[in-house]
This record gives sequence, C-alpha cells and structure tokens, in this order.
Amino acid sequence: MPEQASAFEDGVPGKRLHLVPDEVVEADRMEAVRRYDILDTPPDGAFDRVAALAARLFDVPVATVTIVDEDRIWFKAAHGLDGVSEIGRDPGLCGSAVLRDDALVIPDTLLDDVACGNPLVTGPLGVRFYAAAPITTADGHKLGTINVLDTKPRSITSEQTATLTDLAAIVLDEMELRLSALRTVRQEQRAAEAERAAREQAERDKAAIASFASTLQRTLLPPALPTAPGLELACHYHTASVHDVGGDFYDVFPLPSGKWGLFLGDVCGKGAEAATITSLARYTLRASAQHTDDPVAVLEALNNALLADVWAGSRFCTAFFATLTPAAAGGFTVELAAGGHPPAYHLSPAPPEAGPATRTRVEAVRPKGGMLIGAFPGAHFASTTRHLAPGQALLLYTDGLTEARTSTGAMLGDEGLTAFLAARPASCGAAQLVQDTVGLLDALAGGASDDVALLALSVPTSDQTAAATRAGSTAHTTAAPAGEEH
Amino acid sequence: MTDDIELALTTTPGPAAVATVTGEIDLHTAPGLRTRALELIGQGHRHLILDLSGVGFCDSAGLSALIGIWHGAKEAGGSLTLAAIPDRLMRMLTLTGVDSLLPHYPSTAEALSAHQSAPGPA
Repeated sequence: MPEQASAFEDGVPGKRLHLVPDEVVEADRMEAVRRYDILDTPPDGAFDRVAALAARLFDVPVATVTIVDEDRIWFKAAHGLDGVSEIGRDPGLCGSAVLRDDALVIPDTLLDDVACGNPLVTGPLGVRFYAAAPITTADGHKLGTINVLDTKPRSITSEQTATLTDLAAIVLDEMELRLSALRTVRQEQRAAEAERAAREQAERDKAAIASFASTLQRTLLPPALPTAPGLELACHYHTASVHDVGGDFYDVFPLPSGKWGLFLGDVCGKGAEAATITSLARYTLRASAQHTDDPVAVLEALNNALLADVWAGSRFCTAFFATLTPAAAGGFTVELAAGGHPPAYHLSPAPPEAGPATRTRVEAVRPKGGMLIGAFPGAHFASTTRHLAPGQALLLYTDGLTEARTSTGAMLGDEGLTAFLAARPASCGAAQLVQDTVGLLDALAGGASDDVALLALSVPTSDQTAAATRAGSTAHTTAAPAGEEH
Repeated sequence: MTDDIELALTTTPGPAAVATVTGEIDLHTAPGLRTRALELIGQGHRHLILDLSGVGFCDSAGLSALIGIWHGAKEAGGSLTLAAIPDRLMRMLTLTGVDSLLPHYPSTAEALSAHQSAPGPA
C-alpha cells in the first residue's frame, strides 16, 4: 500500500499518515456514509451548533463538520465559511484526516509537506492552522471529520485535541439520532404503505367476490322468463348481499304436450354451499319434470337427489313445483306441489259483497303436509289443483318477503302480505303485481334482510290479451339477478 | 346481549334425558346446540327430549340443527322429542312439515310420560 509521511504528526514522530485509502476499507466506509443518508441534506441546527461551539472553544474563525464522499468533501455545517458547500478530496487537510484513527493536528500548514499544497492553504482562505478529528462509527467507519481552521499558525494542547475528538463523538451521536428517526419514519411509511396496499387488495377482493357472486347468481336463475301463450309471467329477484350468492331460485319452462312447468324455492343457507344445492335443485326439477306429470313425484325426485348429495341430511330447501295445463274453457289448470314452503296466493277480483276495502280475493294455496325437501328420507309431499281463470293471478314468493320488517320492527308476515294483496286493484296482471310487491318491500322501513324471490303468473282477460298482443309480448321479467341492492 | 345458547340436562331417567334449551338458536348458536345434544346422545341419552320453552328465536339454521339432532338420535337407535315449543317455532315446524316427523308435546312432563308409556325399548 502506497504511503506518504507527513512532517508534522501531532508532534509525535513516526506516526504515518495514510494518504491513499485502502479500496476495501473505502468501499465499506462509503456504504456506512450512505447508510446515514446525510449527504446533501439541508442545514441542521444541531450540526451548526457543534461547529459554532468548536470555533468558540478553539478561538478560531472557521470550524466545519464534513462528510467525506467518494470524490468530494461535503460540508454538513460550516461556521465562518460562507458560500462553500464542498471541496475536493485533496490530500493535506480533511482528505487526510478522514483516513486516520485519531486526530490530525497541523500547527503550520506551510511547514507540512502535504498540507502546504492543499487549495485551502494555497487559495484565498490561506489556512495556516488545521486540526481535525474523524467522525467514527461504532463499527469503525470514518464518515467525515470535525475541523477547526485558522489563518495564523498555532499550537493546541493534548486536552484540546481530546475535546475535538469528543466533539466528533457528539456529531456521531447526532447522526445516530437522525438515522434512528429516519428509520422510524421509514418504518411508519412502510407500515402505512403496507396498510394502504392491504386496503386496496381488500377492495379488489371485495369487488372480485361481488362480481363472482353476481356471475354465479346469474347462472342459477333463468336469463329471462319464456313467452308462454295466454300467460303473463313476471319475476323479481333480490339478494340481501352483493357478496353472497342467494339461496332462492325459480324457473319457468315448457313441458311436452303444451304444458308448462314452474318452480320457486329457497335453499336453507347462503353462499357457495347454497349455490351447489340451488344448482342441483334446478336441474333435478327441470329433468324430473320431463319424466313425470306428477308434481309430487318431481319433488320426491328432488328429495332423493338432495339426500344422495354429499351434504345429505344437512342441506335442504323448500319449494313449490307446478305444472300448468291450458284449459279448454280458457285459463290454465295448475297442479301445485309443495315441500315446506310458505303458501302461494291465488288472486281473483273480489265479489261485490266483499266490501269496498277488499278489491282482490286472496286465497292461500298450500297443499297440506308437504315437508322440507332433502332433510328426511321418504319425506312426503302433497299437491293441490287450481283453475287459474282469465283475470286471475298466482303469486309465489320466498320468505324473505314475509320476514321483511315494518317500521315497528315487526315482520310483514302472512297477514300483512294478505292485507296488502287484498287492497290492491284486482285487474292487474303479473307484471303489475310483482311491481307493486317490490314497491311494498321498498316502502318497508326495515326492507328485506334476506333474499327475496317473487314469481307471478296471471291469465289475461280477452281485452288484456288483445292489448298484450299489440304490445308484442306477454312475458315480463323484472329480475335483478346481478346482485343489485336497493 | 347474550348470543350464547345453553343446554341443561335436567333429569336422566334411564336412556331418556330431558335437556332444557335456553337462548336464541341462530346461525351462530345452532352448531353448538347440535354438538352438545349429539354429545348427550353419545353419552347414552339416546332418547332425547328437548324442552324448548326457553327458546326466543329459531331460524332455518336452528331448524337444521334440530334435524341434525334427529338424524343423530336415529342413528344411535334413539329418538328426538320436542316439548313446550314456542308459537313461532311451532309455525316453522308446521310450515316445513317437520312437525309430522318429530313427536312434540305441550310440556316436558307430557313428553316424558308419553315416552315412558311408549312400547319398545326406552
């Protein structure tokens, strides 16, 4: 390693000054400098005060705190030196001091072989006295120096040299404090950043789940109700949460020999598990209806299918299944089978003797003894037959409707729903019936806290049929299967 | 607000046991009720009589728990009998047809005496 000796070495002959840094030591030193992240930072009161204190203690015009960068010496604080923020790493003064383990004292720069060539000595400043102590980290890296300079030669005591070393230690303490504060701030920033990222991820997940749920929901409901001649159909679907797939289901589909099949049901539970049951229920009902004319047999097939499923005995549903057969005298013969489901309502214009408050005659339709589907092997189901005449309607719903809360917190209940239906104008078709019922639900203070499915069918009178034919359609769908919330 | 459910064994006459259910049976409490009732059945009380007079609310999850207990009792060669069913729960059991399958009595005493006088293993 090339070395050069300085003529004045703290008055102690034999001590040698390393002028050219060892490459490995220098690389580690620069890494330490960067760790403290102090280069080119704005002036800082603490370092300015240390420089001012050094100038006063040594009674010199100039005192500085410097950090030594790869190719320059940068002034963190400069007392008595205006307009200078950095100088080159020329040997002699700071550039030499930073390479030493101890303080460097040059009583008269003109008498020092190396220092005499330094620009601070040869330049306008004309430095004659220079003393510096390295700012050394706990692991031995020298970040820079604290320096005192004078334009007159002078000597200092070993006590003063020790003071300069102490001041360098104070500078290091300040830098450690600053680094620790920086680390805290960075940690907080990182934590805030992580929190923000987590929040954004959660938002994205939520959106993805909602989108997934609504997509899945759409696959579980018919895309649109079919157009059934002589029949007006309308439906409504409302899921309680956009993040969950509802457990309500319905469908209307053609059967052989000009009949129609329809069903509406409610799976106990929600989410993915309920969706598997809903899907199983839909295709089982549709497929079974192709093989038998008996709605009870269709529900029995569903009961067997649910009990054969992996969820056997723990996942069940309630449902109505009906077949509609066009009647020779007009209207439809409806054969309706039920499994554990709330009653359907058969609506017809009220006779005059019912009084002015009752405009619609409301009859609950519920075959006696139909059990929950999928809970018990050999569960029994029952059916009943009705004639749906022109001007009459049938409303099927899930219990999300009757369990909706009124402003008093009480449930709407069968009684509330019946009263509402009775007071409605009797002449309305299925679309109007569903629209009015959705209006009732929206008007309830508590709204629906559960999923609600509505399916209405009505037989238009000959006048209404003519009007509907002119309008080009007899099917009305008001389903909102995409998880829209009210 | 207590959202816990209690299941207290009140009498143990042979393999029949009367357990009193207190609380609301919903999505949160139903699994606990099912587990504890099945434990009683597993401990030899295979003819379980549930006194439901202290049940304030029961939703479809509660219904599911009762059906699960019924299945468990049946598998153990026992039975599930319900007693003192509150009106709302009774309406639900009737609506779903579960009442036709699960024997039920207005009071625990009646359930117990009906069970003890019933033929077959008790």
